[in-house]
Amino acid sequence: MASLSVSLNRLQLKNPILVASGTFGYAREMEGIVDCARLGGILPKTITAEPREGNAPWRTVEVSAGLLNSIGLDNDGVDAFIAHHLPYLSQVETAIIVSVAGRTEAEYVALSQRIGECQGVAAVELNLSCPNVSGGVDFGTDAEACRRVVAAARAACPVPILAKLTPNVTRITEVAAAAADGGADAVCLINTLLGMAVDWRQQRPLLGNVMGGLSGPAIKPVALRCVHQVRCATDVPIIGIGGIATIDDVMEFLVAGASAVQIGTANYYDPQVSTRLIDQLPGALAELRADSVEQVVGSLQLPR
Amino acid sequence: MSNPLQAAYYADDAQQVDAKITENRLLARETFLVRLVAPEIASRVVPGQFVMIRIHGLDDPLIGRALAVYDVHSGAAGEPEAIDLVYIRKGKLTRYLAGAAVGSVVTVWGPLGNGFAPDPCEHLIMVAGGIGQTPFVAVAKEALGHQRFGQRQTGWAKRVSLVYGARSADLLAGLDDFAAAGVDLQLCTDDGTRGRKALVPTVLEEVLQQSLQNTSAAAIRVLCCGPEIMMEKASEVAAACGVRCEVSMETPMACGIGICFSCVAKVRQSDGDWDYKRTCVEGPVFPAEKLCWE
Ligand SMILES: Cc1cc2nc3c(=O)[nH]c(=O)nc-3n(C[C@H](O)[C@H](O)[C@H](O)COP(=O)(O)OP(=O)(O)OC[C@H]3O[C@@H](n4cnc5c(N)ncnc54)[C@H](O)[C@@H]3O)c2cc1C
Ligand SMILES: Cc1cc2nc3c(=O)[nH]c(=O)nc-3n(C[C@H](O)[C@H](O)[C@H](O)COP(=O)(O)O)c2cc1C
Ligand code: FES
Repeated sequence: MASLSVSLNRLQLKNPILVASGTFGYAREMEGIVDCARLGGILPKTITAEPREGNAPWRTVEVSAGLLNSIGLDNDGVDAFIAHHLPYLSQVETAIIVSVAGRTEAEYVALSQRIGECQGVAAVELNLSCPNVSGGVDFGTDAEACRRVVAAARAACPVPILAKLTPNVTRITEVAAAAADGGADAVCLINTLLGMAVDWRQQRPLLGNVMGGLSGPAIKPVALRCVHQVRCATDVPIIGIGGIATIDDVMEFLVAGASAVQIGTANYYDPQVSTRLIDQLPGALAELRADSVEQVVGSLQLPR
Repeated sequence: MSNPLQAAYYADDAQQVDAKITENRLLARETFLVRLVAPEIASRVVPGQFVMIRIHGLDDPLIGRALAVYDVHSGAAGEPEAIDLVYIRKGKLTRYLAGAAVGSVVTVWGPLGNGFAPDPCEHLIMVAGGIGQTPFVAVAKEALGHQRFGQRQTGWAKRVSLVYGARSADLLAGLDDFAAAGVDLQLCTDDGTRGRKALVPTVLEEVLQQSLQNTSAAAIRVLCCGPEIMMEKASEVAAACGVRCEVSMETPMACGIGICFSCVAKVRQSDGDWDYKRTCVEGPVFPAEKLCWE
């Protein structure tokens, strides 16, 4: 049986199939449907320093092969997370990677430190890319701000740091290189693409927040392109995200250079997808005659 | 914000299954009944709960759709075997479903949501507009003691009425099923082609006034499902009569199991403030007075 484990600098995962932040609740919701301990890792919904009620409905709208969302980081804040959600999460036998978002560098640092010091947290993912939160510096689009926040969070946080980046930039390679420079153990590519939907009869936007993030199969080619570009530009390990729903999707991301993947929107429309993909992974590796996941990571052959 | 640990609001009973279609027939204009073999769901579902349904492998439509469970069908051995859903052909998924052949397979997960509580009463008044009648056949069968759902008690209402309005007569669906269950039908249509030419809240008010002549307000319950504006008006009518009223919300959902935070409605808190609550797990049924209508 092929080895499924992967390592991303200081972070070790038992397999490369993770579930993306905001698409798996706080894991407890899935207990009856998914055997969460089988996952390579779980990223609970992004937390912020203070509670946020989130955006007005509608918060999601389906579009062709995709979903637009403007949830607005609806969460109860870090205190409630530590009191109510972490006790459950930390007893699930998999890597718990806590996603945090701040308005300022100091907020990112404080959240990373506090969460990183909690029992049962394998890593912290800095959500540097949420298009639904305005205010403050845009850490996902300004390479230097990105480098600084990653470096500061890394210095304060005892566990590995991942940087989740937005595709809504001109050159993702520059932001990814800056995150690597700041000491990110891995970069997570990609968050949602900014989009919009219009009801022309009512002459109004469909999302309560007017614009929102596009996810699902529609964005997979963009995500693969980002993974490929970053793979070519730096050696930082990559976690691929974007439209992954089938084993073919998983293999495409691994071959393109991702060491692991996160399943997002597919959890909504096929709740058992993540563990099914873990079942299917050995068979797909065997097709490439690979005895480990790491053997296929970045094995893409470019035309001469 | 929506703290899922403040109560046991988890879809712990839900199962994801590939279910075979054994029946898919026209019930009224543009309205179809589909029967899905799903014993895991059929044996657990209670009235007012729903399932999510999706066509496996299709990217458009991509996201599951919520459909209320209309009825449970038992197999030869008398065990719950299949669920019936009633849908109106409208957009992407329902168009696809209306053309789906018997024998084909769809993905469903459920049962989901809280459903209507089987709290005893003398007169149960169900209020439906449009396709909102779908949960009420099961409610009536359970309340009048004709059928057991899950492990719940049956026979918890003495009398059951349905105030049901649609645009026109040919859109009224399932009237035979309601009549067979012994439900007193109070119909109305916008164009007067069947029943009263009146709005649902107006008819509800008359039904309530009549009921109050021989039944105390505390022994009457009103349940609503349909367009929000209708439910808001109906709940005002019930409140004016001092009658308990519950409404089933139909907010846009993406997962049905509490993980996406799409389906929120403004719900009043005990401190008088409001909070966004996920209707898929904390509802879809809420006490009417808890909702902040938009
Ligand atoms: C708890 C619940 C129970 C429901 N029960 C039934 C039922 O028994 N029978 C029935 O016919 N329909 C029911 N619906 C509505 C159903 O989920 C679909 O919105 C409807 O069938 C149209 O789907 P479509 O793909 O054909 O239409 P499309 O227009 O292609 O797609 C509708 C899409 O928009 C969203 N949407 C659009 N309008 C609404 C709305 N008013 N409310 C919520 N979401 C909306 C849906 O989530 C979906 O993603 C229910 C909805 C909920 C939330
Ligand atoms: C409804 C919704 C909510 C999301 N919430 C978050 C979030 O809180 N934090 C975050 O980092 N990403 C969030 N995301 C982005 C996903 O984690 C993921 O990066 C993105 O959806 C692309 O992957 P996918 O196409 O597989 O969904 C959210 C996505 C969706 C659809
Ligand atoms: S529909 Fe996803 S949380 Fe309710």
